[in-house]
Amino acid sequence: MNVGAGHITLQQVDKRFSAGLLALRDVSLRVEEGEFVALLGPSGCGKSTILRLVAGLDAPSRGTMDAPALRSGGRSTAFVFQEPTLMPWASVFDNVWLPLRLAGVSRGQADEPVRTMLRNVGLGEFADAYPAELSGGMKMRTSIARSLVTQPRVLLMDEPFAALDEITRSRLNADLLAWCATRRLSVLFVTHSVFESVFLSQRVLVMSPRPGCIVAEVVVDQPYPRDPAFRTSAAYLAACREVSNALEAAQAGAVP
Amino acid sequence: MPAIRIAALAMLATVTLGAAQAQEKVTFATNWKAEAAHGGFYQAVADGTYRKYGLDVTILQGGPQVNNRPLLPAGRVDFLLAGNLLHSFDNVRNGVPTVVVAAMFQKDPQALIAHPGQGYEKFAALRNAPLAFIAKDGQFTWWQWLKVVHGFRDEVLKPYNYNLGPFLANPKAIQQGYSIAEPIYVENQGKFKPVVHLLADHGFSTYSTLIEARADTIKARPDLVQRFVDASIVGWVNYLYGNRKAANALMIRENPEMTEAEIEASVALMKSQGIVDSGEALTNGIGAMSASRIKDFYGQMVKAGLYKSGEVDLSKVATLQFVNKRVGMDAKARLGGK
Amino acid sequence: MSSRLLPVLTMVALLLGWEALVRFAHIPPYTLPAPSLVAQTLWQNFPSLASSWWFTLKITFGALALACAGGVTIAAVFALSRRVEAAFFPVAVLLQVTPIVAIAPLILIYVESTTAALLLCAWIVAFFPILSNTVLGLRAADPNLRDLFHLYGATPWQRLRLLLLPSALPYFLAGLKISGGLSLIGAVTAEMVAGAAGRETGLASRILEASFRTETPKMFAALALLVVTGVLIFWVFNALSRRLLGRWHPSERA
Repeated sequence: MNVGAGHITLQQVDKRFSAGLLALRDVSLRVEEGEFVALLGPSGCGKSTILRLVAGLDAPSRGTMDAPALRSGGRSTAFVFQEPTLMPWASVFDNVWLPLRLAGVSRGQADEPVRTMLRNVGLGEFADAYPAELSGGMKMRTSIARSLVTQPRVLLMDEPFAALDEITRSRLNADLLAWCATRRLSVLFVTHSVFESVFLSQRVLVMSPRPGCIVAEVVVDQPYPRDPAFRTSAAYLAACREVSNALEAAQAGAVP
Repeated sequence: MPAIRIAALAMLATVTLGAAQAQEKVTFATNWKAEAAHGGFYQAVADGTYRKYGLDVTILQGGPQVNNRPLLPAGRVDFLLAGNLLHSFDNVRNGVPTVVVAAMFQKDPQALIAHPGQGYEKFAALRNAPLAFIAKDGQFTWWQWLKVVHGFRDEVLKPYNYNLGPFLANPKAIQQGYSIAEPIYVENQGKFKPVVHLLADHGFSTYSTLIEARADTIKARPDLVQRFVDASIVGWVNYLYGNRKAANALMIRENPEMTEAEIEASVALMKSQGIVDSGEALTNGIGAMSASRIKDFYGQMVKAGLYKSGEVDLSKVATLQFVNKRVGMDAKARLGGK
Repeated sequence: MSSRLLPVLTMVALLLGWEALVRFAHIPPYTLPAPSLVAQTLWQNFPSLASSWWFTLKITFGALALACAGGVTIAAVFALSRRVEAAFFPVAVLLQVTPIVAIAPLILIYVESTTAALLLCAWIVAFFPILSNTVLGLRAADPNLRDLFHLYGATPWQRLRLLLLPSALPYFLAGLKISGGLSLIGAVTAEMVAGAAGRETGLASRILEASFRTETPKMFAALALLVVTGVLIFWVFNALSRRLLGRWHPSERA
């Protein structure tokens, strides 16, 4: 196992789309192995684009990048979308089995890891259910289970809880931290919720509006595990305020 | 009485008679577009024969996609032209109250034609043809007779859509036609004289170009029926033996695809093949029918499996009350017809 | 219970109305036969009508099977290459809009075997909905799922089998429901043109035969069998769709 294999680096990356749109301008960031970093910014600032570049689904127009997906292929990187992105025609089991199946693991061989994963995310009894029969929160758990079942080095999450209600979101925030705690995962978590970014991450990178670049970095100096009480602590509120100010400043500097 | 008074009285009589016999509107539906085989009827319209008998006749053409048959029982037409007795047998069997009142053709011109020099000179060879183009109407009537009595098979059957192309393109093919019509078109388009086998020469002994009327018309207005039949017979005599020009022109107006040359060639064939004026017609006048011949034809069709014995009450098929009266024979003699 | 019963009651009421109309207006059987007469005629002629019915069913389902095979295969080719699709889609559209009544006579003359000609005619009518719907379906795969498959290094075969085909299934089934009815119509139309040609003949030929011989009750009896066939096809494919999609597709989950 390559030491430091789990880190992500972007150096002065530009991304211009074929229509001429400049989505990212001079983006530089680094996620250390095992770090949980949040990417925060207004709509259209290019945060999802960064994730796609890291996953190898798109290529930068300028600059250099280094990430497991770009080095050794997809199995090392997991992606969780804002929509659960489940296969509606397949059961929960089959959905979570998918990445293993594509790698050549048979249903029998995958039985144990998949069922364990489902139990981990609290869906132990729903292996045979279909996505249409699940609530939004349960579908998102399935999606996360699928992303973790291959034991990836990198977890990319694109506003995964944005479509859920406050209560479910809160519970999933706590669960996500628990799932990440036992694995040495580098996580890049895109959100436009200030509160969520501070609760979950060790560092919050604030982006400017389009063309996006990193304009501020806020360190959240609170050790894991973080329990619900953290949300009402002074440190939390201070960090949130700092992030909010950075966000506003970034917005103010935008070209009208 | 002085001559001029007689003349005046005669004129008055004719006018009053004419006025009393006001022109009755009559519709006659045929089974095809206007052709020489309908010549006598168009003649009676063109030369005023129908009018002389007090009838204002409208001829309603048939055609390849047109089926006029249901119009008669439905009361929409007064008289209908039928191609053969099988239609009448079917009507009686199914309780349709229509009756044959005259048979203008003593022979059915239904025939099978083939390319010359392909071995079809004998009728028996036709059953081995690899392709037979037969139209829908025939497929379900006389083709069934050909299958049972003469050994033809459904495997070689292909639908005939009144287009000579497929037949002309395939020397081994045979197709249906009227012996007085298709051979002329084949010669014009294909530049060869086809071999013609008349079904009537091989046991298909039906009358043809029959006039049908509703049973209640016959019961309530026998006089009208008689006038229509007589006028039609006279029309045929005039057409065959007299001046056809006006009738031909009328038919060409109704069916512009027809040409005068084709019509005349057809008439010549009608005469040489004895289609209209032969057999019983020579003694009893055109339109003649006999119960024995109808019975005999029915027997043939029972043997061919188209009907069961006794299934059709033959007395309801045709009535002889309007024909066999030697109508038109004096006119024929005057015109020098033989 | 009542929603199942309602269509049955409606049909019964219509049939009774038809029977009453014929009786009270004294409509002759050769114009409009009463349902009771049609039923009786059907019963009396069942053996011979049944073998014609079987032939029509063979042509219908044979053509449908070929339409599925052809439609799906061509759709897969089109989905793989937009160029091929652009080149050949107009041909498919042409085949669909040309009235089969016009080209059936030509096909019947130039194709040796009548059965093959009938299958071809019915196929032409039936394959287009399957083709166009399946092309749509193969392109309808969730783009995020596509990305996921790409991320996990799926082979093209895996992508086709595990993503594209299941995504296309609801669309394919929608096309199939349409094509089921169309292949019956195509088979009947082709046979109306063919008449008695060939060794075996189907219900359409029997309808023609009855019509030419003024046997109106028999014509209606054969028509009734055709209607039953159409209804059965509709019902079977609806049930199939419900079975395959019931658990997960919005269209069947109501």
